[in-house]
Amino acid sequence: MSFLAPFYLLLGAAAAVPLLLHLLRKRIATRVDFPAARYLARAEREHSRSLRLRNLLLMLLRVLLVLALALAAARPFVPSLGVGHGPSALAVVLDNSLSTTAVAGGTPVFSHLRAAARKLLRAATPGDRLWLVTADGRVRGGSSDVLLAEVARITPSEDAGDLPLAFRRAAAAVKGSALPSRMVAVATDGQATAWRFTARADVAAAVYVPGGAPPRNRAVLSLDAEPVRWTPRGTITARVDAADSVGYRFVIGSRTIARGTAARGEPLQVHVAPPERGWQALRIELEPDDYAADDVRWAAVWIGAPPAVTVDASAGTFVAAAVGSLIADGRAARGGDVAIVSADAASSLPALLLPPTDPVRLGAANRSLAKLGVPWRFGLADKSLNIARGDRMEGVEVSTRLRLTRAGTASSDTLATAGGEPWIVAGPGYVLTASALDPSATSFPVRASFVPWLADVLALRLGAPGADVSVPVVARPGAIVRLPAGADAIENASGGIRAVTGERIAAPAERGVWFVRRGSRRIGALVVNSPANESVLARESAERLGARLAGRTGMATSDQARWVRQAWSSGTSRPALGPLLIIALLLLAAETAALRSPRITAA
Amino acid sequence: MESSLRADLLDPAALASLGHIEVVARWIVDGFLSGLHRSPRKGFSVEFADFRPYQPGDDLRFVDWKIAARSDRWVVKQYEEETNLRATLVLDVSRSMAWRSAPTLITKRGYAEQLVAALALLLLRQRDAVGLIRFDDAVRTSVPPRARTTQWRRIVAALADPGGGRASDLATALSQAARLVTRRGMMVLVSDLLVDEGPVLAALRGLRAAGHDVVVLHVMDPAEREFQLAGEANFTDPESLLSVPASSADVRTAYGDTVTEVIAEWRQALSAMGASYELVVTDQPYAVPLRRALDARQRP
Repeated sequence: MSFLAPFYLLLGAAAAVPLLLHLLRKRIATRVDFPAARYLARAEREHSRSLRLRNLLLMLLRVLLVLALALAAARPFVPSLGVGHGPSALAVVLDNSLSTTAVAGGTPVFSHLRAAARKLLRAATPGDRLWLVTADGRVRGGSSDVLLAEVARITPSEDAGDLPLAFRRAAAAVKGSALPSRMVAVATDGQATAWRFTARADVAAAVYVPGGAPPRNRAVLSLDAEPVRWTPRGTITARVDAADSVGYRFVIGSRTIARGTAARGEPLQVHVAPPERGWQALRIELEPDDYAADDVRWAAVWIGAPPAVTVDASAGTFVAAAVGSLIADGRAARGGDVAIVSADAASSLPALLLPPTDPVRLGAANRSLAKLGVPWRFGLADKSLNIARGDRMEGVEVSTRLRLTRAGTASSDTLATAGGEPWIVAGPGYVLTASALDPSATSFPVRASFVPWLADVLALRLGAPGADVSVPVVARPGAIVRLPAGADAIENASGGIRAVTGERIAAPAERGVWFVRRGSRRIGALVVNSPANESVLARESAERLGARLAGRTGMATSDQARWVRQAWSSGTSRPALGPLLIIALLLLAAETAALRSPRITAA
Repeated sequence: MESSLRADLLDPAALASLGHIEVVARWIVDGFLSGLHRSPRKGFSVEFADFRPYQPGDDLRFVDWKIAARSDRWVVKQYEEETNLRATLVLDVSRSMAWRSAPTLITKRGYAEQLVAALALLLLRQRDAVGLIRFDDAVRTSVPPRARTTQWRRIVAALADPGGGRASDLATALSQAARLVTRRGMMVLVSDLLVDEGPVLAALRGLRAAGHDVVVLHVMDPAEREFQLAGEANFTDPESLLSVPASSADVRTAYGDTVTEVIAEWRQALSAMGASYELVVTDQPYAVPLRRALDARQRP
């Protein structure tokens, strides 16, 4: 039995009133003069048995009457006998997350879930209100026929989805219905990582989780390519989750560049110098298993010649040594593509611009910046000690710097700050520092992060064709991402092109590498992978899941037919208001009859 | 007088509010007599005694036509009874008689006094000797039976005597009445009979044995007859202080049955000893008990 307004059950306490009146009758305090009290005493004496019986009957009728009215006020629903169900509001959460593509017992889990949803929807009646909610939280409403067609169209997602969101939306849909019977029916693989939440338990829920254990899974948890710009050498690192050794291969484009067998728990690392140039898709493939979705993982790299760098004497010895190590490592070359030079001596871009070593050259440096179109100017010197803030700047101290001031509205990036003011700024073709890259001005040149920072600046900011190289955007399917400025299309590995407008788009639902295009040129890459936790197929038990979603009213099973019965069980309850009111009226009539009865014969 | 205006048919409580007991009693008796088809004096007086003015209801055979012809006044010849009736009205003025169930009603005592006054006047007009005994736990007033024209005023004055409002000792009062009234006559007992039956019946038997005709007018408030009080309370007898907790709705039926039984018991016991019994409810017009008393008076 369930109640629409259970707080009215408190009215049932009023049943104690006739009971107390009956029990406390001898303690009546009111005195009324009545000379014929002797007749009253005689009447009670002579009719004591019938009076006692009558009083008991009246007390019982009054208690029952109060209870019936309190029950009626609470608007109860009681399970009805027979088949079928009354009008119900039912929302079906169909889990079509990526994990449901796992094959169990020769059949994808999603097939079990879809079959269960079909069975449930076929049991609907025209009086029901129905919704279908998928793992991405999308809500569809309609008749059972419409939703059955939807179920047939739905395919597993490439993403983990957001099942808590889907459940909340389903609950909101049924709660918004005026129908008294409300239920959220969840068909899910019960993946524990997807159901880490506890609902408010304000709506009943029936949960179906297919029986049996999830398949043993081998998964690629991560794939990283370092650096972003291969010149042309680079390193691929991958982590694999497998219960035992598993065969793998690395592929660039369509060419396998390495293969082998990964031991359990052992990270994979490969150093390669591929002949391909430009943006390339990179992937690792494992031997297929029953959950193929995480057997492949993607990454993207830009492969090309290293940037040719000229280091001016004014740049100092530390910069020269760092560039030398990059050249020795093959990540840079000697040449005239990029200059590292004091601003007052710079004559062209791209260049890494440093402040003049001689203060008297400050004016010449600012004139040179203006001539090169750099929207920044050097200002007064600041010799207070500050801590730099920015990428790779952890712990870097700045003791001498020239204040940088804006000169123009051209866009620029601030790569690092010191004392809350811009310290290293960048724009098209230039990177400008406010301190000499020397230990007398900053500790940055003697930090371990300096050489990688310089490599990134040369490769991604200044290296020719610098504008084409950016850090790849990594996203999960359908996520909102920000593309590099000027992007107008994305292109998949097979050459299919999809136009985009604006810098923010929804990542494609298909996993893989999408090259970002500006006109006919690739200017970046969008890597779409499923979240790593989607590879953890461990299941929450149906019982625990039911309790989490609907508290004590949660029902859970691994049996489809039982789940269908549970899901419609709230609809098999009928309102008991009418019968209770009739009972109350009958009790009232019986009470009146007992009051007016000339005599109730004692048994 | 039209029957609709006859005082003996009016509501007793309304009637009591219209005037002093003496006045009201006259209205009642006048109304009662006008309602009779024939004079009640027919046949029981044989020797001429006096003249009196004609009253409606008087038998035209007793009108003195000669006087009417001479003086244009209608007078009726009155005759001396061969055997004068001696009636003693025994009135219970105990505390229980001073009760009424609702302000719109008259108390049992008020009703009984009005009835006694009217009955006395009626009998005196028939030239019967009428006396009065008032009692509660003892005899409070005693007016010996007389047939004089001033007797009625004495009786009315005695009704206003102090005393009363205590417990009722009806048996003692009846015994004293027997001693006071030595000649045979009629004893009219007006009481609510909220007493133990045994001693009272014994006393009444004594009166019957002494040759008295006994008429018992059992006065009851309507709520005592049907238990019309509402709610739950300790219902307490102001005389005996007997207290009975009850819910009126619960016991009303049983109470009604019990009172019916009590009335039947009184009627049966009194009938067995040759006494008349009449139940008088205080919302009844006075004509009813007067008629009953007069019937008893005319019984041979």
